[in-house]
Amino acid sequence: MAPLLEVENLSTHIQLSRSMVRPVENVSFHLEAGETLGLVGESGCGKSMTGLSLMGLLPPGGSLVDESSVRLAGRELVGLPDAELRKIRGNEIAMVFQDPMSSLDPTKTIGYQVAEPVRLHRGASKAEALERAAEVLALVGLPRPKERLNDYPHQLSGGLRQRVMIAIALACEPKVLIADEPTTALDVTIQAQILTLLADLKDRLRMSMILITHDMGVVAGHADRINVMYAGRIAETTETRKLFAGMRHPYTQGLLASIPRLAQDNTQRLFTVPGLPPDLSNPPAGCRFAARCTYATDKCRTDEPELVGADDEHEFACWHPVNGPLQLATTQVRETPPGEPADPAAPPRKPLLEVTELVKEFPVSGGLLQRSKRSVKAVSGVSLSLGPGQTFGLVGESGCGKTTLGRMIVGLDKPDSGTVTLEGQQIDALRGNELRRHRRDLQMMFQDPYSSLDPRMRVGAILREPLQIQGIGSSKEQLERVSDLLGEVGLPKNALERFPHEFSGGQRQRIGLARALTLNPKVIVADEPVSALDVSIRAQVLNLMKRLQASHDLSYVVISHDLAVVKYLADRIGVMYLGKMVETGGGQDIYERPVHPYTAGLLEAIPIPDPQVEARKDGGGIKGELPSPLDPPSGCRFRTRCPLAQDTCAQEEPAMRKFGDGHFAACHFPLQTPVLETVAPAGAADGSGEAPAAV
Amino acid sequence: MAGYLIRRLATAIIVVIGITLVTFLMLHIVAPEPALTILGPKATPAAIRAFNHAYGYDRPWYEQFITYLNHLLHGNLGDSPKDNQTVVSLFKEKAPLSAFLSGVSLLVAIVVAIPLGIYQAVKRNSVGDVTATTVAFIFYSMPVFMVALILIQIFALSLGWVDPNVSQDQTLGGALSSWPELVLPIVALATTTVAAYSRYQRSASLDVLAQDYIKVARAKGLPDRLIYTRHLIRNASLPMITLIGLSLPALIAGNVLIENAFNIDGLGLLFVKSLQNDDYNVLLGYTLLTAVLTVIGNLIADVALTLSDPRIRLV
Repeated sequence: MAPLLEVENLSTHIQLSRSMVRPVENVSFHLEAGETLGLVGESGCGKSMTGLSLMGLLPPGGSLVDESSVRLAGRELVGLPDAELRKIRGNEIAMVFQDPMSSLDPTKTIGYQVAEPVRLHRGASKAEALERAAEVLALVGLPRPKERLNDYPHQLSGGLRQRVMIAIALACEPKVLIADEPTTALDVTIQAQILTLLADLKDRLRMSMILITHDMGVVAGHADRINVMYAGRIAETTETRKLFAGMRHPYTQGLLASIPRLAQDNTQRLFTVPGLPPDLSNPPAGCRFAARCTYATDKCRTDEPELVGADDEHEFACWHPVNGPLQLATTQVRETPPGEPADPAAPPRKPLLEVTELVKEFPVSGGLLQRSKRSVKAVSGVSLSLGPGQTFGLVGESGCGKTTLGRMIVGLDKPDSGTVTLEGQQIDALRGNELRRHRRDLQMMFQDPYSSLDPRMRVGAILREPLQIQGIGSSKEQLERVSDLLGEVGLPKNALERFPHEFSGGQRQRIGLARALTLNPKVIVADEPVSALDVSIRAQVLNLMKRLQASHDLSYVVISHDLAVVKYLADRIGVMYLGKMVETGGGQDIYERPVHPYTAGLLEAIPIPDPQVEARKDGGGIKGELPSPLDPPSGCRFRTRCPLAQDTCAQEEPAMRKFGDGHFAACHFPLQTPVLETVAPAGAADGSGEAPAAV
Repeated sequence: MAGYLIRRLATAIIVVIGITLVTFLMLHIVAPEPALTILGPKATPAAIRAFNHAYGYDRPWYEQFITYLNHLLHGNLGDSPKDNQTVVSLFKEKAPLSAFLSGVSLLVAIVVAIPLGIYQAVKRNSVGDVTATTVAFIFYSMPVFMVALILIQIFALSLGWVDPNVSQDQTLGGALSSWPELVLPIVALATTTVAAYSRYQRSASLDVLAQDYIKVARAKGLPDRLIYTRHLIRNASLPMITLIGLSLPALIAGNVLIENAFNIDGLGLLFVKSLQNDDYNVLLGYTLLTAVLTVIGNLIADVALTLSDPRIRLV
C-alpha cells in the first residue's frame, strides 16, 4: 500500500526584496498511516517551512519549485487551485502551532474558534458545530467543556490554550496532523501532559502525525521515525532507536553529543559543534555541513552528497559517515577549575552571598478606590547561600518566582522583607551612591539576547557603559578593558564597531556575558542564559560560562527551567515551586535521590534524548496546572498536584528537613528518609545558612 | 463597571475644574481689563471703576473664580457683552451646526478610513497601497484650512459646482436646506482625518496580520474573505476606538479653521471672533466645552473598548 503522505523533491523559495532564500531544498520523505514522523533540527533548518509547505501556507514571496510533489493518499496537492487546497487544510491536514498565547483570536470565544472549521468543512449549523466543539474539547481534556464554550482565550492558561489549539486542529478528524513545536512554549510538566495527549489522540483517531521540534528528547519519546534536517535538507532519516543508537551523519552525532544530560559528570566540557549554520540565501557548494564538520574533506566542499543508505530504512547524506554516537567520556577534556572544593555538593566554607527569608509580593490593583487587597505572592521566604567560585542553580516552572528572586539578589527589585548580604554587607538596605558601588559586584545576564542589548548602541559602547557609569579608568583604559573582554568571550576585535543586530543569537549572548563581566563582579545572576539558543550554540555558551568562572573565580546564580542546564553548571541546586524553595542539594542529590515529589515529577517530565529511557516512562508525571499565586494553597503549596498529599499537607506547612549533607527538602511525605538531627541552632548545623528556614 | 464609571466621573469633574482654573487665570493675565474692551479706550476711570464693581471685577481673582464656579453649577456661563446674550444661549444657537459638521465628517472619515487602512494592509506594497499612502501623507502634512482653500479653488471657483458663498441663514435647519454648500466643509474636515486614521488602521491591521491566529485561520482552510471579516477587522479596529475617542476635541479645533475658511457661523467662528474681541466669558466657556468633550471622548472610548474587547474589564 502506498504511504499516506508522499513528499518528493519539495523545494521552497522565498523571494525577498534583495535576495532569494531557499529554506527547503529537495526534501523527500513519506509518512505511513498511523505513524509519527519527527522532523528535528535547529532554528532555520527548514523544518517549520516544510510543514507550512505541506499545508500550502507559504509566507509572502514564497513559492514551491516546479518539481515539488506532495501526494496525500495518492492525490497531488502541489498545483491545486487555492479553493481545492482550502478544502484540505484544516480538514484532511491540520496544523498545531508553537505559541498557544498568540494562536487564538483574543476576541472570539473558544467555542466559536473550535466550531469554525466544522462549519466550514462539514457545512454544519452553528448549533451542530458547537456541539461538535464541546465533544472535541472534551477529547483534548478540557475540564467541563460545555460550560467553557463561551470562555475567551485569555481566561485559560497556556496549557489549556494549547489543548484548545489541538481541538481546533482535530475538529474535522484530519488524516495528518502537523504539530510544529507544540510544546516549546509550555512548562515541562505541561509539555509532558500535551505530548502524552497528542500520542494518545493520534492512536484513538487513527491519524498520522508529523512532529516538528528542536528537542531531541521530545522525538526520542514520541516519534517512530526521524528526519534530521540541516540547512534546508534532510541530513539523515531512519527509525528512532536506530538513529539514537547508530547514527551515520556527523551532524546528528554532534547534535546529540552537545545536549547537556542529567546523568552527565558536570566537571567535563560539553561537546560542541563549532561555527554557525550557513546563510540560506547563498548556500555553500557541496555538503552544507562541511564548514562545521570535523570529518570534512575537499570532496565535501565541492560535491553535494545524496541522501542514500545501505537500506531503505536508514538513509543519510554524507561522504564520510560516522558510526554511532560519540563516546563522550573519551572525547571530553577534563578540566579542573582551580580552587574548587573537593566535593562540589559540600556547603560553602564561608559564604560570599547570603540570602535570607526573602519575600516579594506584587499588589494587584482593584476595588472602588483602587486599594489593593490582593497580591501576587512571587517569592515567599526563600533563603540560599553561595560560596566564592560556586554556582547555585535555581529551577522551577514559570511563575515559581525564580526570576523575581534573581532580580532581588542583584538589587533590581526591593524585597518586602528578608536580606541579601554580600561579603557581610547588607545590599538591600543600601541607597544611592553606595548601592551603585555595590552593583559592581552583582551583575546580571539576561535570557533574550535580542532585547537585552540596545539596538542603537555599538557593542563597544554597550560594554563601556558600565565603566563610564561607575567612573572607572580613563577612556583609553576603558577601551583596553573592553577589547580584552571581547577576546575573553571569543569575539573578534572588530565587533566593537558593530551593532548588536549584526550578530547571531549565540554571539549576542557572549556580548551579554561580556557586559556582565565588565566590572569584574563577584556574582553574576544568569536568568535563563541559554534557553533562547539552539542546542549546538547552547553548548558553546555553557562551556564559555564554565571557563570564565574558573579563570575569574566567579560565582553564578543560574536560573533556568531546564534542569539539565542547571545541573551542568551548578554545584548546588534549589528547586522552587510557587514562591517557595521545596528542595535544595547538590546536583547528584537532586538528580539521583530526589526527596520532594515535585522534584521527582519534574525529573520524570523532562524528555530525555534516549528512546530507551523514554520508552520506560509510564506517562505519570505531574497532573494539573499551577495554582494561582494570588491565592496559593494552604499548607504545602504543591499539595494540589501532589500524588502523595494527605490532610496534613493542607493544614501544616512542611519545614525544611535534612536528608543528607547539604541536602534539604520541605515535605511531609518525603521520598527518602530524613537524617535525624540533634537540635542545633538553625543555620549552624552545616554552616551554610541554608538550613531549615523555620516557617 | 459601575464603580469604574463613578470613579472616572469623579476624576472628570476634578479635571474640568482644574482646566477651568488654569484657563481662568490665563485669561486674567492676558485680558486684565475687560472694562476697557467693553467701554472703549476713552472710558473715564470712574466709569471703569463702576463697571468693575458692577461685574465684580474689583474683587480678588479667587473670589471671582468661586463666583464663576457657582454660576457654572447653575448652568450659567456668564454674559457676552458684545452680543448682548448669555454665553449659554450663544452656544445653544451655534452648537448644532458645528456638531453636525464635526459629526458627519467624523462619520465619513471612519467609513472611509477603516476599510481603506485594512485594504492597504491586506494589499501591502501594491500600487493601491503606495498611492493611498502618498495621498494620505500629502493631506496629513497639510493644515486643514489649506485643504479647504484648495477645495474652494477647484470645486467652487474653477468648476463652479458649488457656490463659494455659504448662505447666511445659518441655523442647522437653514444650512441643511441648502446642503450642497456643506459638502466642501465636510470633505475638507474629513480628508485630513481620513489621512491620519487610515495610517493607524493600516499599521494596526499589519500587526494583526502578523499574528499567529491569522496563520491558524489560514490553516483551518478559511478563505481570505472570511479571515478578514472574522479575525482581522475587529482586532485591528480596537486601537482605533481609543484614537477616535481622543480625537473628538481635535475635530472641534478643526471646526475653528473650517468655519473660518467657509465663513460658517458656528462655534468655531464664534471662538475666533471672541478672541478678537477679548470676549472673556465666551472664551472661557469654549475652553470648558472642549475640556468636557475631551473627558467624555475618553470615557466613551473606554466603555466602547470594554464592550468590544473581552480581555479588558473595567474595575
